[in-house]
Amino acid sequence: MKIYGDLLFILYSESKKEKVVLTHVQLKTNVPFDRLKSYIAELKGLGLVEDEPSFRLTDKGKQYLREYQTVLDFMKRMGLTYR
Amino acid sequence: MENIALIITEAVSAILCFVLLRFVIKPYRITGEGRYLGLPLGFGFLGVSYIFMGFALYFESFIFFDDLKWFQLFTQGYAFAFLAATYYFSKKSPERARLWWDITYAGLVFAAVVSYLVVFEPPMFGLPSYKIVDEYFKLFNIICLAYISIHTLRIHVSQPDPKTIWVPISYILLGFGQYSSLIWSLDSSFSAYVGSHLLRLLGLLIFAFVVYQSFHSKRAESLKGEIRTEEACT
Repeated sequence: MKIYGDLLFILYSESKKEKVVLTHVQLKTNVPFDRLKSYIAELKGLGLVEDEPSFRLTDKGKQYLREYQTVLDFMKRMGLTYR
Repeated sequence: MENIALIITEAVSAILCFVLLRFVIKPYRITGEGRYLGLPLGFGFLGVSYIFMGFALYFESFIFFDDLKWFQLFTQGYAFAFLAATYYFSKKSPERARLWWDITYAGLVFAAVVSYLVVFEPPMFGLPSYKIVDEYFKLFNIICLAYISIHTLRIHVSQPDPKTIWVPISYILLGFGQYSSLIWSLDSSFSAYVGSHLLRLLGLLIFAFVVYQSFHSKRAESLKGEIRTEEACT
């Protein structure tokens, strides 16, 4: 599950650049390219990312990422590790 | 008069636990990992145990008073066991520990059902007196809380951050609350009895403060509007 949150976060950071290069995303996530593509396809299926006109998070994806970060912050305060 | 104050303390503690339950379920909901289920189960059981104790104090003169006290004992024990299991499994790799946390939680639920059948369903087995069992349960609760306190303190020490100190403090206060209650059970000291309630209430209030800081403070509200560029949890 963590990989999806991390992937959304990386895609969000990368989408601030001119163009999202999947090779850069792959290097940051450290997963094989075919698996990365299947993860992205799942995120697209859930309506969290879109690739038209360019790769970026949808509003739903951004909302999920904000919620994800708030909960991770809460878990850190609660002394819970998440790996 | 003394009873009313204690009933109010139990009621406030139960309300705080159920408010916390609404928030501590979020790690499970957002990650979908069963190992975080112990947190809402723990606070839920804790809230239920305070309700049982409140009822036991209110209906002190009724015949089922003893049953309610036994319920309180078991639910509180399970609450701390679930919390300790959550902290234990949170540091493990999910791939390796998934089976173990499923077994542990299933074991705890099984033990709850068995203990209910043994203690409350007639015919009753020859159990020792409530007072003795109560002392053993308090000792068990103290061990669970000591484990959680050490775990959370170690995390705070490894990555010092002012916002991570509050939760260890609140677990320590809950632990001292149990210790104080044990002292009261042994020597009937009134100050230990009152102290146990106050320490527990203070511990739960600190949890409420942590939840407020995470989800409703001005800083948290401002963060909701933006996505942070650094990761919050490692």
